[in-house]
Amino acid sequence: MTRADYYAVLFAALLLPYLYISQWTGDEAGINATIMNGGETTQVSLAHDHTYEIDGALGTSIIKIEGGKIRFAASPCLGKQCIHSGWLQHAGEFAACLPNRISVAVLGEEPRFDSINF
Amino acid sequence: MSDKPNSTAATKSGITMTTTPDDHLIAWLAALAIAIHIIESVLPSPLPGVKPGLANVITIAVFILYGWRTAVWVSMLRVLVGSILIGTFLSPTFMLSFSGAVASLIVLWLASRLPGEGLGPIGLCLLAAMAHMFGQFYIAYLLFIPHDGLFKLLPLLMTAAVIFGIISGIIVRSMLQHLDKRKNDTTTIISPRNEQEK
Amino acid sequence: MKPLWLSLLLIATLGITACSEAPPQVHKAKLFTLGTLVDVSVLHPDEAATQQAVEIVESELAIINTQWHAWRDSPLTAINQQLALGETVTIDAATHRFIKQAQTLAADSNQLFNPTIGSLVERWGFHSDDRPNGAPPTKANIDKLLKQTPSMTNITLTETTLTSNNPAVQFDFGAFGKGYAIDRAIEQLKQAGIENAIVNAGGDLRAIGSKGKKPWRIGVRHPTSAGVIAAIETDGDESVFTSGNYERFFDFDGKRYHHIIDPRSGYPANNAVSVTVIHHNAATADAAATALFIAGVKEWPKIAQQMGIDQVMLIDEALTIYMTPQMAQRIHIEIDDAQIEIVGDNG
Repeated sequence: MTRADYYAVLFAALLLPYLYISQWTGDEAGINATIMNGGETTQVSLAHDHTYEIDGALGTSIIKIEGGKIRFAASPCLGKQCIHSGWLQHAGEFAACLPNRISVAVLGEEPRFDSINF
Repeated sequence: MSDKPNSTAATKSGITMTTTPDDHLIAWLAALAIAIHIIESVLPSPLPGVKPGLANVITIAVFILYGWRTAVWVSMLRVLVGSILIGTFLSPTFMLSFSGAVASLIVLWLASRLPGEGLGPIGLCLLAAMAHMFGQFYIAYLLFIPHDGLFKLLPLLMTAAVIFGIISGIIVRSMLQHLDKRKNDTTTIISPRNEQEK
Repeated sequence: MKPLWLSLLLIATLGITACSEAPPQVHKAKLFTLGTLVDVSVLHPDEAATQQAVEIVESELAIINTQWHAWRDSPLTAINQQLALGETVTIDAATHRFIKQAQTLAADSNQLFNPTIGSLVERWGFHSDDRPNGAPPTKANIDKLLKQTPSMTNITLTETTLTSNNPAVQFDFGAFGKGYAIDRAIEQLKQAGIENAIVNAGGDLRAIGSKGKKPWRIGVRHPTSAGVIAAIETDGDESVFTSGNYERFFDFDGKRYHHIIDPRSGYPANNAVSVTVIHHNAATADAAATALFIAGVKEWPKIAQQMGIDQVMLIDEALTIYMTPQMAQRIHIEIDDAQIEIVGDNG
């Protein structure tokens, strides 16, 4: 290992904890989630059980909300990684079906609506 | 390997192509890279299509032995041919491989500008793997999932990249030692290209 | 060389941090004016400019509130007095503009939007900041006022004068003034260089721009229960106005009387529970929401078309949701088991 190699390892050793701390801290329980389909975002509440059928780039993904949790129940992709991500519940939890361009994220503090009309 | 003579082949159009032993090695390495690329495509990942970059082993080895230009060739060959063979040419997976490869090559180019001894195989593989992952991640974020939630995966992906980077660095190092031993076991003339890039 | 390494490290770290953007900071201010609570949301990088913009909105709304107040002594009540005496009123350009728009909207709505029935509204007790109490007006009272048939067709408007050939005409711009005020406020914001904002006056709003990379998200309140019945993401410059029977009302003898009076019957309109309209101009959206509420389940498509409104959602007493196809594309119904009917092709 050259001296430069050691610097490279040092850099990696500093970067990793930084990434964990900056992206993972903040542990509020999620009450809303966003479903993103291509460029469109829909906010959904995790308070009520619901099943969504979303048409993505590849086909229809089924997203289920149950007991305050959300997950991909079915998806037309090959790998089914999205489904294997399981139930999402806490703020920041995330699953995506890349081939179908659909992703789900549980929200934290962001307000659900910017203004209420009545 | 450099002790083999050049070969000559006549093509149908009558043009004669002469290939050097180095060309053979590069072609062989490129084929190996493509094979690794294909194998890697079946590995699971938290974010589909984002790969740890094992094929980087070949890119780095080529970079060290033959310089940056050749590394670019092999890398681009790997991404293009690999995707055509798998059937993902111009698909999202292709974009991800391509951006990962480009990011690694940029980092390698920067590394080649370093004065002094510069980086060894471990440092190169580590940085290239991190660049590779970062390039893939960013393209995934920009083009496919512009969702802030995606960043929650970045620490995991980067950790995988660092681990695979160091492992590939160790692999490259022993590869080079093995090649060196073979070179020293036979009487050969070191090709001028080797001397230029060091 | 150490400096090169360090700078590479720095650039890489900065690059990664730059990618993960914090959510945009929206400046929110609450003002009490126009007889209601006004919420102003502004997204602008300059804190001082934002503060100034909010103050501009506040003064603009205050001006309109003072000028067009339907019952407190104001230029409008003075006009009403003059018109009742058959006098010709001299008006300025701003007044002309205001009344002209109201006149056009009234005509387009077949006079369902009728801002000349101030006497009737007053008789119902809605000329007050408080909730009316006591009995509703008798049928005799109402019929007497109805017989006088005040309407915008009685008005003759020139660039500088205003006359009425019906002394019963008493302006009350409740169904239009708020929208007009919001339009003015938004114009002021735009002039001040603000591109992303929402001005929400008592639930009715106009939104411009977006919240950073995401659109403004508007929740439409459920007419009969807590919570939100629908969500709308605004696109560009749009107004969202809702007229509902739950906004201003009083109860007497177990019956509810709300403030949207049908000028044809003299009684609160009862052919809908709420109407939501999306349109660029807030004043138009305001008048349209009222007119379509009065038109009710049967007549709203025709009136909407006349007024140039293509995004309508009407909810009736059974909580059936009627929508134009254009509205159905925009809006996201947030409740389960909603009864939805898409009504015709409005174009």
